[in-house]
Amino acid sequence: MKDSSDPILGDGLQQAHETQNTAERTMERLIFSLSELEHLGQTLISGYGNFNHSSKTYLRITLGTLQVTRGVILRYHPTGLNLDVVASTPERVFPPIPIEPEEVDNLLQHPYIENSAPPAGLQEFFTRSAELIETVDVRLWVPLKIQDEFLGMIGLGRFLGRETLEEWEKELLTTLAHQISIAIAYSQMVEGIQSEKFRLFMLAESAPQICQLLEPEDAAEQVVLQAVSFLDANAGALMLARPEQQELELGYAFPETLVESVQYNGNQLVIPCGEDAPVSPEATSVDMLKSVVNDGIPGHCLPESDTLFGGKNLMAVPILGRDGDILGVLVVGDKEERGGRIAPFNDEDAVLLDSFAKQAGVAIENAHLHQEALEARQLQAEMEEARKIQVNLIPDNLPDILGYEVAGYYEPRGAVGGDYYDCIPLPTGRWGLAIADVSGKGMQAALLMATLRAGLISELSRGENSTSGEAGDEVPPATMYLELTEMAMTLNSLLYASGTEEKYATFFYSHLNPETNVLTTLNAGHNPPLLLRKDGTCKWLGEDVGGIPLGMFPNDMVSSIAEYEAEHIELISGDVVVYYTDGVTETVNIEDEYYDEERLLEASKACKDDSAEAIREYLHDAVVNFQGEADQFDDLTLLILKKK
Amino acid sequence: MNKFDIQIREDGDHAVIETAGYLNDSLGEQLSEKARELIKNGYTQLVINLEKTTLINSIGISILIEIIEALHEREGALNFCGLSDTQERTFRMMALAKYAGIFPDEESAIANL
Repeated sequence: MKDSSDPILGDGLQQAHETQNTAERTMERLIFSLSELEHLGQTLISGYGNFNHSSKTYLRITLGTLQVTRGVILRYHPTGLNLDVVASTPERVFPPIPIEPEEVDNLLQHPYIENSAPPAGLQEFFTRSAELIETVDVRLWVPLKIQDEFLGMIGLGRFLGRETLEEWEKELLTTLAHQISIAIAYSQMVEGIQSEKFRLFMLAESAPQICQLLEPEDAAEQVVLQAVSFLDANAGALMLARPEQQELELGYAFPETLVESVQYNGNQLVIPCGEDAPVSPEATSVDMLKSVVNDGIPGHCLPESDTLFGGKNLMAVPILGRDGDILGVLVVGDKEERGGRIAPFNDEDAVLLDSFAKQAGVAIENAHLHQEALEARQLQAEMEEARKIQVNLIPDNLPDILGYEVAGYYEPRGAVGGDYYDCIPLPTGRWGLAIADVSGKGMQAALLMATLRAGLISELSRGENSTSGEAGDEVPPATMYLELTEMAMTLNSLLYASGTEEKYATFFYSHLNPETNVLTTLNAGHNPPLLLRKDGTCKWLGEDVGGIPLGMFPNDMVSSIAEYEAEHIELISGDVVVYYTDGVTETVNIEDEYYDEERLLEASKACKDDSAEAIREYLHDAVVNFQGEADQFDDLTLLILKKK
Repeated sequence: MNKFDIQIREDGDHAVIETAGYLNDSLGEQLSEKARELIKNGYTQLVINLEKTTLINSIGISILIEIIEALHEREGALNFCGLSDTQERTFRMMALAKYAGIFPDEESAIANL
C-alpha cells in the first residue's frame, strides 16, 4: 500500500490536520445544509403550497445536502391506499404502489429502514416496489410522518464516496424528512382550503344563477352540472318526482351516456317509488332513490350496488319545494381525487349537496311556475279566441216559426265549454232544432263544435234534397227515422275522425214540421229534453231511445253498443219543450246540492203557460237563484220551443 | 358538454391549448401532459382556450395552477380565454388571475402574452 503521509509532517500532526479538514468540510456542509433548509422553507411557503409541484425541489435539496446521487419521494393517499411517486432521480413515471394499512402501521415504527434488511411484515411491500427500488437503487428509506400520521416516504440511493451515512448526516436527514413532512401536511391543508374555497364559491355563485333560469329543462341541467362540479363528482342525475304516478322520472343526466345501458320504459328512465313498489332483496341504487324520496333524507350507495348508473359510488339528497313537497332527487356519482382515484362522499359533502338542493328546489319550482304562468297566458288567449268562435256559432236571434215560439239562452260560466244550440231553417219549410254539449274546453271544443255544426247543416241540406221536398209533404215516419239515424252515424263518424283526443259531443236533434206539428227527435247521449203538455203531463224525450254521444266510438262499434233511434211526437197548442245542457241540472248551490231534473221539472211546470221567452227567463232565474254564491264552471244553455 | 377533447395549435413562439368537455381529473391530466410536452419543447408562452369547457371542478383548477407554476419557473406566461362569467369570477377568486391573464378571445390572449 502506498504511504500517503506527508514526509514533512509527522504522523500525529498529519492526523490532526486531516481531522481539521474533515471538521471544516463537515462545517461547510452544515452551513450549506442550513442555507438549503432555509431554501426549503421558502419553497414551502411560496406559491400555492402544491407539494406535487414542489417535490422535485425538496428531493434536489435533500440529495444535494446529503451528497446522494439518486432518490425518490413517495406521497401517501389514504383513500386509494397507495403511494404516488411524486419526484424521482432519475426522472421517470412509475405506477402507484399499493400499500396495506398494516404495512403503514409497520412503517411508522421505524425512523430508518435499510433496503437490504426490510423489517418483518414489509417484505411484500418492498417486493411490490421492486421496479422503483431497482431504478433508483434505493439503499435507505425514511418514512415521512407528523406524529402518527403517515404521509409518505423518502428513499435515498447510493451515497457519494461512502457506504453509509454518518450519524450527524442521519440527524440532518431526519430534519429534512421532517421539513418534507411539514410540506406535505401544509400542501394537504392548502389543497383542502382551496377545494373548500372553490366549493363554497361555486355554491354561492351557482345557487342564484340557477334560480334565474326560466325553462325547467335548463334548470334541471344546471342543477346537475353545478352539483357535479363543486362536489368533484364525475356523474350526476336529477330524478323528478311524479307524485300521482308514484314514480321518479329522469330529468337530466351527466354525462348524457350515464343511463344508456339502462332500459326502463324504452329509453326513459322511470322508477316506481310508491310504498308498495317492489324492493330488491339487497339494497340497490333504486332502493336508495326510493328511500330518499319516501323518507326525505340523504342516501348513499356503493358501486357494487349501483344498478342504475353503471356501478358508481352514489350520494343522493331530496329536493324539496316551498311547501315541503319532494320535487325530486339529486344524485351525484364518483367523487374524484387527483390521480384518477375515487373517494367516498363524506358527511361534509352530504351537507353541501343538501344545502345546494334547497336552492335547486327553489330553482326548479320557479322554472315550473314560470312555465305554468306562460301556459296559463297562452291558454287564456286561446280561450278568448275559442269563445269568439263559440259565440259566433250560436245564433244571435232565433227565427219566427209559424205557429210556434222559440227562445234560446247561452251563458258562458268559467272555462269555455262546448255548449251549442241552433234553429236551422230547412228548404221544405221544416226546422231543425239542435242542442249539443261538446267535450273538452277551449279551442279544441270550439273547433269540434264548429265541425259538428258544419256537419249538421251539410247533412240536413242533403237529407232535405233526397226526400220528397215539397213543403207540407209528409215524410213517412220510417223514412224520417232512417234519415235521422243515418245523419247521426255520419256525424258520429265525422267527429270520431276529427283527430282530437276528447272528441265527443252529446247531441239532441229535433226535426219540426210546422205543418203537421210532428216533432221527430234523436238523442245521442244528451240530457233528455222535457216535454210539458198543456194538460200538465210531461215526458223526458229520448230518455229510453238515446244512443251514445257522437264521436266516442267508430260506427261499427256504435252499432254493437247502442244504435241511434228516432222517435216522434205530435205537439198541440200549449205544449212546451225545454232543451237544456248539463250546466242547468248540474248547477250546485253552496250546500253542494245539484239543481237536477226534479227541480227543472217543477220550475218548468210553474211557468209552462207563459211565453217561450218568459219560460226561458223564469228557468234561468230559478237556476241562478238556486246557485246563490256557489261557483259554477259549466255553461248554462236553454232552448225553449212552445206550440202556440 | 360530454365531448372530451384537447386540441393544440403551435404558432411561432407560442402555443394554444383548446379544451372541450368537463375539466376534471381525467381531462385535466391530459391537459397537464400536453402542457408539459409543450414546455419541454420550449414553448413557455401558452394560451388555454376554455370556450368549449363549461364545467370545471377543483381538481381542474389545481391542475391549471400547476401549469401556471411550471411556466413561472421558466419565466413563461399563460393567458386564458373563452371563459364564462362564472369561470372568470372563479378564476379571480381562486387567484389564478393573479398569475395568468384572462382575455375574452384567443386573438387578444395571444397578443397579450
